[in-house]
Amino acid sequence: MFIEVKNIYFKYKNSKKDTIIDFNMELSKGEILAIIGESGSGKSTMLRIIAGLEEAYRGSMVIGDKKIFSDKMFIEPENRGVGMVFQDYALFPHMTVKKNIQYGLKKKSKDEKEKIAIEMLQLVNLLEHKDKYPYELSGGQQQRVAIARAIAPKPSVLLLDEPFSNLDANLRERIRDEIKVILKKAGITSIFVTHDIEDAKVLANKIIVLKDGVIVEKN
Amino acid sequence: MKKLKFNGWAVLSTIISLMIVLPNLDIIIHLFQKPNETWFHIKEYLLKDYITASIIIVTFTIIFTVIIGVTLAWLISAYDFPFRKFLRWSLILPLAIPPYIGAYTYAGMMSYTGVVQRFFRNTLSIEVNQKYFDIMSIEGTIFIFTLFLFPYVYMVTRTFLEKQSAGLIESARLLGSNSVGVFFRVIMPICRGVIVAGSTLVALEVLSDYGVVSYFGVQTFSTAIFKSWISLGDVDSAIRLAGILMVVVFLILSSEKVLRGRKKFSFTNTKVRPIKRKKLKGIYKILASSYALLVFSLGFLIPVAQMIAWSFMSYKNIYYSDFFKMITNSILLAAGCSFLIVVMSLIIANHSRINSNILSKIYSKVTLIGYSIPGAVIAITMILFFVDIDSKFKGLALSTSIAMLIFAYLVRFLAVGFENIEGGFEKIGNKFTEASRSLGYGVTKTFFKVDIYMLKSVILGAFALTFVEIIKELPLVLNLRPFNFYTLSTKVFEYANDEMIPESAIPSLIIVIVSFIAIFILYKVADKEDA
Repeated sequence: MFIEVKNIYFKYKNSKKDTIIDFNMELSKGEILAIIGESGSGKSTMLRIIAGLEEAYRGSMVIGDKKIFSDKMFIEPENRGVGMVFQDYALFPHMTVKKNIQYGLKKKSKDEKEKIAIEMLQLVNLLEHKDKYPYELSGGQQQRVAIARAIAPKPSVLLLDEPFSNLDANLRERIRDEIKVILKKAGITSIFVTHDIEDAKVLANKIIVLKDGVIVEKN
Repeated sequence: MKKLKFNGWAVLSTIISLMIVLPNLDIIIHLFQKPNETWFHIKEYLLKDYITASIIIVTFTIIFTVIIGVTLAWLISAYDFPFRKFLRWSLILPLAIPPYIGAYTYAGMMSYTGVVQRFFRNTLSIEVNQKYFDIMSIEGTIFIFTLFLFPYVYMVTRTFLEKQSAGLIESARLLGSNSVGVFFRVIMPICRGVIVAGSTLVALEVLSDYGVVSYFGVQTFSTAIFKSWISLGDVDSAIRLAGILMVVVFLILSSEKVLRGRKKFSFTNTKVRPIKRKKLKGIYKILASSYALLVFSLGFLIPVAQMIAWSFMSYKNIYYSDFFKMITNSILLAAGCSFLIVVMSLIIANHSRINSNILSKIYSKVTLIGYSIPGAVIAITMILFFVDIDSKFKGLALSTSIAMLIFAYLVRFLAVGFENIEGGFEKIGNKFTEASRSLGYGVTKTFFKVDIYMLKSVILGAFALTFVEIIKELPLVLNLRPFNFYTLSTKVFEYANDEMIPESAIPSLIIVIVSFIAIFILYKVADKEDA
């Protein structure tokens, strides 16, 4: 298996109860997993644990051949090679679209950076907006930039936190289809969280349903 | 739960926090030593007077600043009247005049040869009774503090009211309250928290003041500390007085928490419909404008006009070679310290944001210590601390160098920079940092590539605010500067104490202009952020 997550337990500092209880999952390369659940079910927390933004107190995680978390070790988010698209996109407001996309390509030469940025812009269909600042784009366009930025460094996994929650109903369907195309073209293993079963059905190969931090259904 | 991480940010934050705590521990240790005879004398005959005077001044200043600050904030945010837009921001300007400069100016204006008495004598041919014009008293001290400190209450209350929902006032009106009813039954209660916060700042400023009370000859804790230290050479008693003052300050700060109450009134919804201003008509319109203009004139216009007039009178008497050196000293000192404070604030605020644990929370609280402790106490603390260091490490002479003053400023004003920067970090949240980390950058690189750009205006604001506080500051620079080191504020103090008030006008005006520019920048930054 490409991703193996075993027996994850997590608790927030000021909480008495565990937010995630015994979370287990496996994912093959190129698969898309949807974690669905209501607000407070722990689905976004699980995504943050995979990204390394939160630290579970028990369990282990392997991506590819690399152990990224266990009781004895913890790899910081910047060294995990995991890309993430945030719920409100978190595009850096002081950088243009192109600069945002190039941000994660730190070890590449200038020419390579330029080439990858153009490829990504073409992939998300935003080439003509490359010199704009995030505030000059619509919500849907901002989301595509966020995806392009996350996949530009070629992460082993792409995580998407509620990718459609900020979009209205009409746009939602269109963007969902667009993302499906983008993820397929990029061939990237992805995990996304949503509270909408329709999103999961359209996009994912695998679905996990979370309730109060516990997996209640897998298919 | 994230495990406790030990990294560069944590190490630097620990060093900065220790730097602030250690000198204060020194003073507490000294407090437990056996008192000397002078202390018994002070305790028996003088302490009661110091306490009474300090309490009277603090209490009445708070009462008057609250009355003026809250009524003006309410008028400006709920009503439309002539000059409202101009007054909205110009009512902050009295903050550009440090109270001691205000005191010298008013004392000069009200004296026998001052402009007020001359007007009565020469123009109206009236010989006035001197006692009605003697401003150098407890009442005069309260008058000065009220005029130049009320903006602290005005500013926070106005900002709070402008963010309140029109719904509140409309409901109160529909339920049968008139304007006065709305003010006392709705506005005052919801503003309680900010009023208490504003008046706490006023109380701390009053307790910290040395310039006004020493010039007016009013015996308070500050003057008593310096008197026993410098005139009587009795450091031990000065420390005891400082210790008592510290206790008073902590009582004030703890009562602030109680007085603020459990309830926090704020709207989480960003779509709050702001208060719609009511247009005042007839006599009410004139009354509102006159009241606000009168306060503005007394707190800014009149003293500044007087300073300008004195500057024209006295500009020939100033030695300009010394004068430019003094300006350079002031600006370099304020800019250097503000820069260090901004850097230290960024370190502690970023550490406490990234590693949210008990230790980082303690560090953020520690930064506030200095601003709560009056200047006189910090001055003593620093002397003790640096003399101790010098005696332990032979060959060092830190207590006679500028290092002591710089260190004192870092301790005293770290809170000013930190509060601003912490607020800025809270506003931007963690998402940009997390995005950057998920793209392969560590905390430090993210800080330089992302955080610092996002905080640009906040950093500028924090720098400007600290800069202004240091340019205005008097008790620390007066008592901790090296021999022959002058700044604008020490020169103002010196001229005023040599009865050369007109000569003090030029350095005073420069302080006011610099503060004015900084306040203007801050106002623009705040308005831009609100928009």
